[in-house]
Order: sequence, then C-alpha cells, then structure tokens
Amino acid sequence: MSRHSQNGPIYEVEGLVIDLYTPTVSVRAVDGAGFYVAPGETLAIVGESGSGKTVMTLGPLGLLPEGVAVDLRGTARADGKDILSMSPTDLSRLRGGFFGVIFQDPMSALNPMLKIGPQLAEQARRFAGLSAEEAKKEAVSLLARSGIPDPEDRYDRYPHELSGGMLQRAMIALALAARPRVLIADEPTTALDATVQAQILALIRQIQKEDGIAVILITHDIGAVSVLADRVAVLYAGQVAEEGSAIDVLTAPVHPYTRGLLASVPDFRSNNATGTKEIPGIPPNQAQLEPGCRFADRCELVQPQCRTHRPPLVKVGAGPVPHRVACPVVMAAEGIVTHD
Amino acid sequence: MQRMFMRRVGLALLLMLAATALTFWLVTAAPGNVAALIAERAAGAGADGEMIAKIADDLGLNDPLPVRYARWLGDALTGDFGVSLRTGKPMAEEFAERIPMTLALLAGGGVLALVLSLAMGIAGAASNGGIVDRVLHGLALVGASTPNFFFAAMLVIVFSVWLGMVPTFGVAGLTSWLLPWITIALFPASVLARVVRVNMQDTMSRPFATTGFAKGLTRSAVLLREALPNIAIPYMTTFGAQFTLMIIGAIVVERVFGLNGVGAFFIEAIRFRDFIGMQAILTLFVVFFVSINLLVDLLAMLADPRLRRPRKA
Repeated sequence: MSRHSQNGPIYEVEGLVIDLYTPTVSVRAVDGAGFYVAPGETLAIVGESGSGKTVMTLGPLGLLPEGVAVDLRGTARADGKDILSMSPTDLSRLRGGFFGVIFQDPMSALNPMLKIGPQLAEQARRFAGLSAEEAKKEAVSLLARSGIPDPEDRYDRYPHELSGGMLQRAMIALALAARPRVLIADEPTTALDATVQAQILALIRQIQKEDGIAVILITHDIGAVSVLADRVAVLYAGQVAEEGSAIDVLTAPVHPYTRGLLASVPDFRSNNATGTKEIPGIPPNQAQLEPGCRFADRCELVQPQCRTHRPPLVKVGAGPVPHRVACPVVMAAEGIVTHD
Repeated sequence: MQRMFMRRVGLALLLMLAATALTFWLVTAAPGNVAALIAERAAGAGADGEMIAKIADDLGLNDPLPVRYARWLGDALTGDFGVSLRTGKPMAEEFAERIPMTLALLAGGGVLALVLSLAMGIAGAASNGGIVDRVLHGLALVGASTPNFFFAAMLVIVFSVWLGMVPTFGVAGLTSWLLPWITIALFPASVLARVVRVNMQDTMSRPFATTGFAKGLTRSAVLLREALPNIAIPYMTTFGAQFTLMIIGAIVVERVFGLNGVGAFFIEAIRFRDFIGMQAILTLFVVFFVSINLLVDLLAMLADPRLRRPRKA
C-alpha cells in the first residue's frame, strides 16, 4: 500500500516551522528543520534543552501540551500520507495506532486514576483488532516482554503502586500495545536512576530489533545515542546543524556545535573533568531571532557572513548514509567538499 | 485506611459535641427569659415573678450551664429535643413534619447543582476558550454573584406572576418544586461549574493528558476518560462544602416559597425567642454539616486510588 520501499522513510518531516504563542510572547521553536526515519532504523535527535527536539518530533502529531497556541507549517508524512492536512479523527487514529510514544517522566505521564493493564488491553483491542479476552492476554504478555515481573499482578495496579523504572517499562508496554510502526522515545531515561537507564535503553533496543520498527530517540544523552542510534540529527535553536550516520556524527563531527557538544561530554574513563570543554555562551533567544547562523554568537570560527546568511544544510562525504552539515565556514577551512 | 477512617469519624463526633455546646451557650446567652416566656404562655398577663421563678426552678434553669448542657445532651441523645415554645409541640414531631420538606429541597437542589455544574464545566472545557466557554464563564460569574432572595423574587415574577406556570407559594406537585430547586442550586452550581472548568484545564495540561492523546483518544475522550476522573477529588470536596451551605440558603428559600421546612421554622423560632426550637434546629444543622463533610471526605478517599490502595512498603 505504501509507495515507499522497505528502506524508504516511514515518518518524514521537511521544512518544518513551528511557532509557539502565549498571550505575551511568540517563540519560533522549530525553524525550517526536518528529519526522516526508516523502518528498522533508530534515529537519535540530540540537542540541548529548548532546541526544539520534542516540538519538532511530536508537534506534527498534535502532541504538544494544551495551553500553548501552535502555528505549524511545512510537511510531515507518515507512511507517505500527509499528516498536517488530516482530520482530527484520522490524526487521533494515527497517533494511537501508527505511533507509540514514551514520555520523559513516567510518574507524571501515566494517569494516576487509571489502572495500567486495562489501558494496554484497550490499545490492543482498538488498534490491533483483538477481542477483549485476547487483548487482556496481550496486555499481560506485553508487560512481561517489557521486563515487568509478575505481570498478572501488575495488570491491576495503579501507577503509584510501581517504581519509576517499572513505570517506564509499563509506559513502553503501553506505547507498544497498539503495535505501532514508529516508536518515539522522548528522553526516556532522563527521569530514571542511572542503573535503570541502561536497562530501559537495552529494552528499547531489543524491541527495535525484534519488531523491526522505526525508533526516534529524543535525547541529550550522548551515551544513549552511541548505544542505540543508527543515525543522528543534531538540533540547535530549532535548526538542524548536522545529520548523518551515528558513526560519522559521533566520530567525525563537522559542525562546530556538534564538536562542542561532543567535547562537553565527560569521559567516564578519566576521573576528572579536564578533558571536557564547555561551549561558551547560551543559546539565542528564540523569541527575537536574528538572521544568519543561530550558533554564530557562540562559535569560535564565526565570520561576518555567518551573521547575515543562514547556512544551508549540504552533504559532505560520499558514504551510503548522507552526512549533512550546515556550516560552509568549517568546510572551507578544512577543505571539505559538497557531494550534492 | 481503616485507621484514617476511624480517626475521621472520631473527629466528627468531637466536632458535633463542641459545636452543640457552643450553640447551647450562645442560645442561652441571648437576651430573653425562657421561664418568663413559658409563664406568659400559660397565664397570659397574669404571670408574676413568683410563677416565673417556680418555672425556672422546675426546669432547672438556675443550674450551672455545664449541668444544663449535660442534661440537654442526655435528652437529645434519646431523641428528646424538648417542646417548642412557639408551637407547643415536641421538637421531635416538628422534625418529623419538616425535615422531609427540607431534605426534598436540598436533594433536588443538590442534584440540580451537580448536573448543571458538571455539564457547564465540561462543556466549557470542551469549548476551551471558544464562545461556549466564555458564555458559560459569564453565566457562572453572574450566578455566583446574584443574591438568592433577589433571584427567587425574579423567578416568581416571571414564572408565577407573568407566565402563571407554577404557584407562587407552597408546594403542590413536582412543578412547584422547580423554582425553589433552581434558586437554591444557583450559587453552588455556578461555583462548582468554575471548579470543574478550572480543574479540567489544569488536568488537560498535565503530561498524562498528552499520553491520552498519544493513545489515540480524541479530545472529548481525553476530557471524559482521562481528565474527569482526576477532578473527582477536588470536585467532591467542594461539592460537600457547597451542599452544606445550601442549608443556609434553605432558610431564605423556604421563607420565599412558603415551604414548611426547618429553615422557615428557624426564622420563626428566632422571632418568637423559641430557645428550645432554636437549639434543636441548630443541632440539626451541626449534625448535617459534620456528617455531610465526613461522608464527602470518606467518598473522596475511596475515589483516590493513592489513598484507597497505598503503595505497599
């Protein structure tokens, strides 16, 4: 049914502009950014808080918190279908069945008044077409598969009766209950203990391998990226600074921001922080954006043109996975040529 | 849970004791002499000081206040609230006649306030800043700021005098209850509609509401199935408080619409310095207040899984 081949993108976003309004300010949270993810692939979207990672990924699905007015332009396609022109009902079905979402803090993302198991069963019934009885069995097996011990007992539990790590496993089970084709994990380990973080990441990787679904991992944890990601998109102030295979971006970063970001990650093997280097300055105020490169004010390589012209995202290198960078200055300085 | 339950019940009993003692003291401290009133009733103008003194002595009115309260409490616990100085009938009889009337008023008003406030609050949340939301917000503000005696008079003028749809006075059939119910429900319905609306808004901006959307629910499904259960506790607590306050409203509403309930009796008791009647009605109010609040607290505890089923250690 899909025009796309097995390896074509299953969720893709292009030229996305998202403005968020409150009565007093408007913020351009996403500024002409885009990404794509193919079945069986894990895309990591990295960037610091406020860079627009979550807004870019969940915004087209209508999954931003209520109370903020959103103005959204660009294109977003799921399995080739245009999401932004869908009716609210169609979009609801797509959110429930095609996408599964794991949120940051399972303690607040699960409804305190609802039992865990029945929610899973309902998803399985509505979206996987199971009978009530099958759906309950499926829910229990989903809980088991997510690594929750004694799943029959947990089925009837309320969120407050489970620990944070168990809740995130339940959240994962909930996201999987409708048998989605794209799993979006929005900082799935940020709210968890360090020991639990690794388990959750391992679980996501295992599910991804077994089901062959597309995974989008939104994170600022470079460690998680290196464990899970096939491809990485680096977001800065609502724009994509660099994207490419995880190996290219993590081992041969080109954009000054990506380099700065990687240099600021502490190396656990050295027991001091001397190896790390922070990026000076703070991200720009996205309520009053200047033309040109968003990173110009913090960049060591800044040139006059950086402040007037927005750098285009161009392909560098000739590898099978496109590696794109939005910085002509560093390319010129290091003799990197475009492969477009 | 069980311990919490017992503590709440114990506290409620203590509260009733303290409140009845306080009203007993206030009623006896009010100007006027019970013995003189009784003597006047019995002998008209022929009542003299000697007779009054004898009555006071017979009734134990010269005993210290704590002794009198203890005696009153003992009687009250057996259902004996004394004889009304105004009507000459035992208060137990008055209660039997009047409580059903007042209960019907409060129950009808309570149901109306419940239905109206939920409907208005949910419709407002569904409209979310739209025209329906703003109109309902305006209505709730007007409703909460309109005095019930004024509102009652306006209803009577429009529906009884102009349109002749319902009687102006007394009750005969279900339609005659409509105006009293609407009047007494106006304030609580308005306040509770705002409680529903505001809590809905807060709940819809919580992360679990976003999870509800991510589960593929439409906005109305998220409102009703994810948000509504979460406002149950604040709603029930406020509803309990508003429902108990309705008994104050009943005092006015019963007078305006000529209903022979305890509220109307209370006004008369004050006017005739019927201390026995006043104390009996006040005791009834205290019991009503405390037991409704207790009931609501217990129901709220049952509605919250975090209280009903605390995490096992």
